[in-house]
Amino acid sequence: MKRLILTISVLWAISVCPVLAQDSIPTDNGISWGGYLQANECLRLKGRNNYSWQEYRWVLKAEVKPTTKSHFYGELWVRTWGGSNVMNTTDLTDKDKVSPGNIELKEAYVDFYGFLFEKLDLRIGKQRIAWGTADKLNQTDNLNPKDLEEIWDFGRHLGSEGLKASYYLGDYTLTAVYIPLFTPAVLPRGDWASVLSPSMELPAGMILKSRTDIVSLPRNNPEESSTAGLQMSKNLLGYDLSLSYIYGRDDLPIASEISLVPAGASGEVDITSELMYPRRRIVGADLAGTVANVGIWAEAAVVFPDRATMVTDLSAFGLGIQEMTVLDDEPYAKYVVGGDYTFKNGIYVNGQYLHGFIHERGKENLEDYFMFRMERKFLEEKLKIAPIGGGVEIKNTNDIKNNYAVIYTPEISYKPVDNAEITLGLRIFEGKNTTTFGRVKDNNEACLKVEYSF
Amino acid sequence: MKITNTRFLLALSAIVIFTQCLTQAQPLNNPVLILNKVDDVINAPKDQDYKVKLVLIDSKGNEKEREMSMLQNGSDKRVVKFLSPADQKGIAFLSLPNDMMYLYLPAFKKTRRIASHVKNTNFAGTDFTYEDMEAIRYADKWVPDLARSENNKYVLQLSPKAAGLSDYSKLVMTVRADNFYPERIEHYNKSGKLCKIMTRDGIEQISGYWVCTESQMEDLKTKHKTRMIMTDMKLDSGIPDDKFTERFLTR
Repeated sequence: MKRLILTISVLWAISVCPVLAQDSIPTDNGISWGGYLQANECLRLKGRNNYSWQEYRWVLKAEVKPTTKSHFYGELWVRTWGGSNVMNTTDLTDKDKVSPGNIELKEAYVDFYGFLFEKLDLRIGKQRIAWGTADKLNQTDNLNPKDLEEIWDFGRHLGSEGLKASYYLGDYTLTAVYIPLFTPAVLPRGDWASVLSPSMELPAGMILKSRTDIVSLPRNNPEESSTAGLQMSKNLLGYDLSLSYIYGRDDLPIASEISLVPAGASGEVDITSELMYPRRRIVGADLAGTVANVGIWAEAAVVFPDRATMVTDLSAFGLGIQEMTVLDDEPYAKYVVGGDYTFKNGIYVNGQYLHGFIHERGKENLEDYFMFRMERKFLEEKLKIAPIGGGVEIKNTNDIKNNYAVIYTPEISYKPVDNAEITLGLRIFEGKNTTTFGRVKDNNEACLKVEYSF
Repeated sequence: MKITNTRFLLALSAIVIFTQCLTQAQPLNNPVLILNKVDDVINAPKDQDYKVKLVLIDSKGNEKEREMSMLQNGSDKRVVKFLSPADQKGIAFLSLPNDMMYLYLPAFKKTRRIASHVKNTNFAGTDFTYEDMEAIRYADKWVPDLARSENNKYVLQLSPKAAGLSDYSKLVMTVRADNFYPERIEHYNKSGKLCKIMTRDGIEQISGYWVCTESQMEDLKTKHKTRMIMTDMKLDSGIPDDKFTERFLTR
């Protein structure tokens, strides 16, 4: 049997290689280098004006097109974080704590164009697969894990090691994706860590002393860890349409076990929790087009989650063990509808209505958001002013007065020379504590970003 | 009899030559015919493949450069890819018939459909709008009127065939009578005011086709100019139709 497989493999290799070689025309063996340098500083507007974000990023991109049938792309981020994580003298000997930083391989993949068949393209390696037609807040973009490290960089995802095959059949494009290993989402960093976490309410008389948690990743095998996706897209009557299906896991954790243990006489408790990533299937659809000169888009994702339960161990208090459902297996739909328009005077407006923000799940937990932006360029496009930008969050439409938040994010950008851009922006929050963004109303901040591309 | 035949043939030849000369010297007075000839001349190559250097000149004379590669198939399909500057490298634009436009943004790994409202906005900081960058046949969008004919040039006034087809209220096109190549196009805004002038300097024959290798668009309000210099021009090189698809836009 092994010999048969080996023989077939050799025959396949012999038959395929000449085909690839014949069709490949050498282009340029040289590597094309590029990238950018970015400095990003944010400062709280309240209190003692602490720095809320400091990041220095050097992005290096390399690209090679050795033949017309192949292509390599790699992107590396080298970063340092401002400030030190030094807590004691021992830490002073640790460079990672004195001057924290990291190196991240964002993408590294090879493309084979016309692989085996003229109409088949294959991409292998660590890659970003961006699905959806909406502006940055894409409900159908669920293959790569979310990278919420800088929460305001909407749409940022990690790259995933995997395989993408695209087949072009007339007007149709069929895409199949396979990602062997599960990678969880990166949660917000620094002061923003709590913004996407639901507030925890302890029983009356209990005070939290310490909290530890264990993250339980899926087993490291194809059955438990893999993600697979299919997409079919087509232009129909002037509209770009696509349908998709994803079988994978939610990349944001959910608590599966919580244990409370007394830690003192005055009602203090230690909490230990275990987090897991529930299985889910997602059916998606999106469209983009034009209606009366206005650009429009819509995306919907119907999520079919596995039921997730949470066991709460209160036996140390004589209350036994309780089990409750934290995520029902009832399907729920997240969607976004939006449009943009440029007026004759150059003012650009963009608005999107979302049902369900990036971190929300479960039919009962989806909120409504309206995101908007207005901008105009001046001085031969060197200066861009966005005086209006941000969003409105409504947690409960029946009681808006007590369930709203407003986010205001004006921005001004200036390009002093080619390839350089300086951006100054504000983030102002107002709202009720019941809402996601209302909870961070003390986090108002001003940010300065300088970027130079090369 | 032989002499009579010879005389007859000579007379006939003289009539034919005289008629031809008359025809050549006779200027055309049918604007639709002239515009169709313009379309035929500028879209004569089956396909075009060339590099473009854009020189952006501000009102003080400061210059900035951009480089692009451009592919065109027939008169209605065009792909533009930015080669420089660094912050725009890799951005690609696809223009297809029926106002279908796509923009590939490498930073987001995404191809975005562009709505027709962007047609009046400047293309990547140049004085050309997305509408100016479209590959079209003028006769499909404009109704011509012959304003005048002088110095071996035709001056056509073009009005949109229907409301909403263009962001310009009219174009005034100066066409060379010898080869029907448009060498100057005045663009009028919706208020009827002259806003931009496009001039073509390097009109020459390559591979038997009349092509323009250097043109300039000037914005009269901002006094900003964009000079477009075409190099490495390849005509009729057999560019396959599937190069004008989203599949190739991302490569």
